[in-house]
Parts: sequence; C-alpha cells; structure tokens
Amino acid sequence: MDIKTEIRKSWIIMIKEFKQILRKKAFMIPLFLFPIVMIIFFGYGMGGTVKNVDILVINDDTGTASSALVQEIGTFIPKYGDVKMFSIIYTKDMGQSEAEKKIDAGLYKAVLIIPPDYSERVARNESVTLTLLTDSSDTTSSGIIISFMKQLFAGTSGSLVTLNIPDIYGKLQYIDFLTPAVIALTVFIGTIQTMGYAIAGERQDGTLVRIMMTPVSRGAVILGKTLHQLILQLARAVVLIIGAILLLGVKMNGSWLLVALVLIIFTFGAVGLGIAISAVSEDMISFQAISMLVAFPSMFATGVFYPLSSVPDWMRWIAYIVPLTYANDAMRTIMVKGQGLAFIANDLMILLFFAIFYFGLGVYLFRREAA
Amino acid sequence: MEPIIEVRNLSKVFKSRGRRITAVDDVSFDVFNGEIFSMIGPNGAGKSTTFAMMTTLIKPTGGKIKVAGFDAENEDDRIRPIIGIVPQKLSLYPDLTARENLELMGNLYDVPKKVMEERIEYYLKLVNLENHADRFTGGFSGGMKQRLSVISAVIHDPQIIFWDEPTTGLDPQTRQAIWKLARKFNSEGKTLIFSTHYMDEADKLCDRVAVMNAGKLMALDTPENLKKTTNSATLEDVFIHLTGEEIRD
Repeated sequence: MDIKTEIRKSWIIMIKEFKQILRKKAFMIPLFLFPIVMIIFFGYGMGGTVKNVDILVINDDTGTASSALVQEIGTFIPKYGDVKMFSIIYTKDMGQSEAEKKIDAGLYKAVLIIPPDYSERVARNESVTLTLLTDSSDTTSSGIIISFMKQLFAGTSGSLVTLNIPDIYGKLQYIDFLTPAVIALTVFIGTIQTMGYAIAGERQDGTLVRIMMTPVSRGAVILGKTLHQLILQLARAVVLIIGAILLLGVKMNGSWLLVALVLIIFTFGAVGLGIAISAVSEDMISFQAISMLVAFPSMFATGVFYPLSSVPDWMRWIAYIVPLTYANDAMRTIMVKGQGLAFIANDLMILLFFAIFYFGLGVYLFRREAA
Repeated sequence: MEPIIEVRNLSKVFKSRGRRITAVDDVSFDVFNGEIFSMIGPNGAGKSTTFAMMTTLIKPTGGKIKVAGFDAENEDDRIRPIIGIVPQKLSLYPDLTARENLELMGNLYDVPKKVMEERIEYYLKLVNLENHADRFTGGFSGGMKQRLSVISAVIHDPQIIFWDEPTTGLDPQTRQAIWKLARKFNSEGKTLIFSTHYMDEADKLCDRVAVMNAGKLMALDTPENLKKTTNSATLEDVFIHLTGEEIRD
C-alpha cells in the first residue's frame, strides 16, 4: 500500500474511533471532567494552610498580653489567603488531660494553654512557657499550626516565650495520617469496582440472567455477592494494615475489632452503591465511567490526602455528604488516636445511615430492573 | 396428549422512551408433554419474549401461562426447578472450570452432591468433554461451550427444556451432536421447546412448529401439515408464506 492509502485508512480508523467514543456519553463526561476536578481539588486541598480551624484556648490569665495574643491568633489571615486560619473558642480552668480528650473526640485541632501568670511574666520580661496540644493524627494541620505558633512567638514576644508541644499520640508522620484513609478509600473503590464486575459485567456476559433463571431469589444473589465483598474487603484491609505496620512502620494504636466494624458497615454502603450504579449502567464501560464520577470526589474531597481543615468551605460541604469522610475519620480515630467506640459513635451512625440508604437504593434498582 | 404448558391470550408490552412496543400480542397455544416443540419467526417476532415469559424471567402484561400446572406469574418458584434453560448467549463463567460451572448449576438447583457428581461424569462423557472437565471454559471453542451449556441446563434433570437458538454459529458436526442430544433427552420423556432460525432444524427435529410474526401466532402444526396447508415444499417456504419476504429490523 502506498503512503496515501495508509494515511486514508488511518483516517477512516480514527473517524470510527471518534464516532464510538462520542457516542459513549457516560464515558465522555469524566474524560474532560476529571482533569478539572483534579486541579480544583488538589489546588485547594494542598494549599499549605488551614482555614477556620477550631482551636481551644485555655486562658487562665486575665492580663492584657494574653488577650492581645489570643486576638492576634484569632484574626490572623495568611498572606495569600482571604479566610482566617483559626476559629477560637475560649475556656478556662481546664486541665491538660481534659484538653487532650477534646482533641481525641475530634472537637479541636489544637489546644493552646496559657498559664495564669503569662501577662505578668511578659511584662516583666521573664521567660514563660505555653503548652500547645495538637491533633497530630492529622499531621498536615498539626504541622501548619505548630509552624504558625512558633513563628508567632518568635516574632511577637522575643525568645522569652517558649512552646511546650507534647506528642499526645507519639511521633507521627504523614504516612500515619494517610494509611487509615487510604485503606478506607481502597475498600470503597475496590468494593464498587468488583460489584460492577459482579453485576454489570455478569449482565453483559449473560451469566447473571442464567443465574436468575435458576431457583434463586434476587435477594440471595445480592446477599451472596455482599458476603463475598465483606470477606474480601476485610481480608484486604487486614493485609494492608499488617503490610503498612511491617513495611512502613505505621502505627496501629486501636482495636482491630473496631476497624472491622467500621469497614463492615462502610462496605455494606459501598456494595449498595455498586449495585445501584450497576443497575443503571448499560454496560461495563458506562459502569466504569459512572463509578469514576463517584470515586473521584470521594478520593479528593474527603481528606484522604490532605486534611479537611485546609480546604475551602464548599469542598467541606462535598465532604460532608460523602460517606468516605466519616470512614476516614473513624479509621484515623481508631488507628492513630487509639480511641474506642464512644469516639467513633457519630461516624458509625452516619456510616450506618449511608449503608442503609445505599443498600436500599441498590436493592430497589436491582429489583426494578427485573420488573 | 396432555398439555404441559398452556399459554392463553399472552401479551407483553414494553415501554421505552415514551413508546409502547407490543412484543407479544394475544398469543395462545399448548405444548404437549413429551413433544419437541419449536418456535420460528423472523427477528422481532416475539419468540424470545415468549420464551422469557414461559421461563418466568419476565412477567406478562396480559394473559396467563401455566407450566406443569403452575402459574408462571405467581408460582415461578415451583416452575424453575422443573425447567432447564439453554440460553442463546452461552452463559458460562470463563474463569471456572467445566466441572465447576456444572457444580454451580447443580448446587443452585439443590441437586444432592452424590447424584450431582454422577450426573456430571455421565454428561461430560455424553458430550465428549470428559477430558476437559478441569479446564477453564474461557478457553473452550464455541461448540464445546454449547455442549457444556446444554448439560448445565439438564444437571437437575428437568421435565422441560427451553433451548434458545441451539445451533446458531455451530459447525455441522456440532449441530448433529446437538440434535442427537435433543432426541436423547426427548426419548427420556423430557419436553423440548426450541426457538430457531434454522428451518431444517425445526423440520427434522420437531413434532410441532409454531410460526410467529410481529408478536402474533400465525400458525401451529406439524411441519408436514404446515407444508400441506400452505402448499409449500419446504418449511422455509412455509415461513416466507406466513411471515412475508420483507427484511425485519
């Protein structure tokens, strides 16, 4: 064949490829949407600052220096930002252990304890030590807060004011923050993807219809596939956690049983979502496209890679309606903070609500498909 | 002969994007116990939809179907154990072996383990797949898949076998083997219901043939009687005579 014919035939093939891809609308949307979504989420999420982070200030000092200090912290806006870094809540007469409990419960990202003689000592140019407790399970926010406070005291009161920063969860690294959420993310995306193959894929292959022709109820089919997912995802999580502990030195400070409980409830929801997406997908390509639309916001808006404290409010609102946010929080509370059921009760309730909603939706759409 | 399937005033209307499509339109017929019954018709005639309703996969819009005395709409749980289905699309799990595919079906039909093992050995031998029992079916040829699909539909020893286009795309040897299997099952007293596009298949194999067109039943009789009444030499001529020459979508 001469080169002209080669080019003409290549052109024909190219036109055919375009026709095919342009007709897959479900595929086209993420194709162009994903890069934009990635830029927005990463751009805002990895901005290197925090916004409106709740800080508890325990101020037992009645002098003017402490008031000025607190005001300076509370009104600080970063050079390249337009939102205050901190939202300050004041209290007094609270001990360090009680303050730590507040952090354990996820109520505050940091607690600054100002001693009763702070203003007096500053006025006398005497050295004084403030205690800064941070939620080091969120290594990014914690690092930003510590860095800010150090700069603040270096700049305002000279070197006489020092900070005592105890590691309330031990020495933690970014990987300790990342691992629990990545496990939850893996379970979420893994469940949705495998449910897709189990339903949309089987429907495409014709095996699902074959199964439905046997004396087996739709409920039994769903239950069988759900049990498979629960076992598979729990096994995956166990392998991942053990791997992270052994290979990366990640800490597992909490209960394995609680991790299992969180993942079981979370997986139920993800199974339901996978069934629902399968039921509305014409084929596997459509399934993958729709599931990516669900997976992407979950991946980037829920604080898997960076803390929610560093994202703008609109991203936080997205995070609040995505179940992965609560799974991440519960997993970090258990694995990093080593806390128990009481501290993850809210997350569990919300995950349970999502699980019931998504599972109900999935079963409804799967049954409606039959009708 | 006793009817084992009674279809009365059956209709099915699908709704799609605001349109109503009548796939089956007031169809009535009986299938007798122990016969080989065939449904023929051009594309869109309503054969597959009628099949799907008889096998309880979809519910009729109107009319009634009784299979072995059970109502297809409300007693599907009683019907499914006594029917076997060989779908047109060979629905085997490619990453399971032939034996595992058969075991899956046997288990879903509650076939006792010992009985199932004996039947698997017997049927694999019957369709010359005994040396491929532990191979993944993903690597099977079309003929091998069709043979396996057939025996997976009878692993629970059904009374009635529904067979959707049994020999489409198969070579002559495999077609012959499939016909032989069909006759064997029939000789054991099973009722067979085919849907086919091959007129020679319907002619040679079936006791009675139902001709469908545009959702309606055009004729139902033995191949010989159909030829006689339409004054046709072959069943293909009968088919054209009853359904017309225009190409269907």
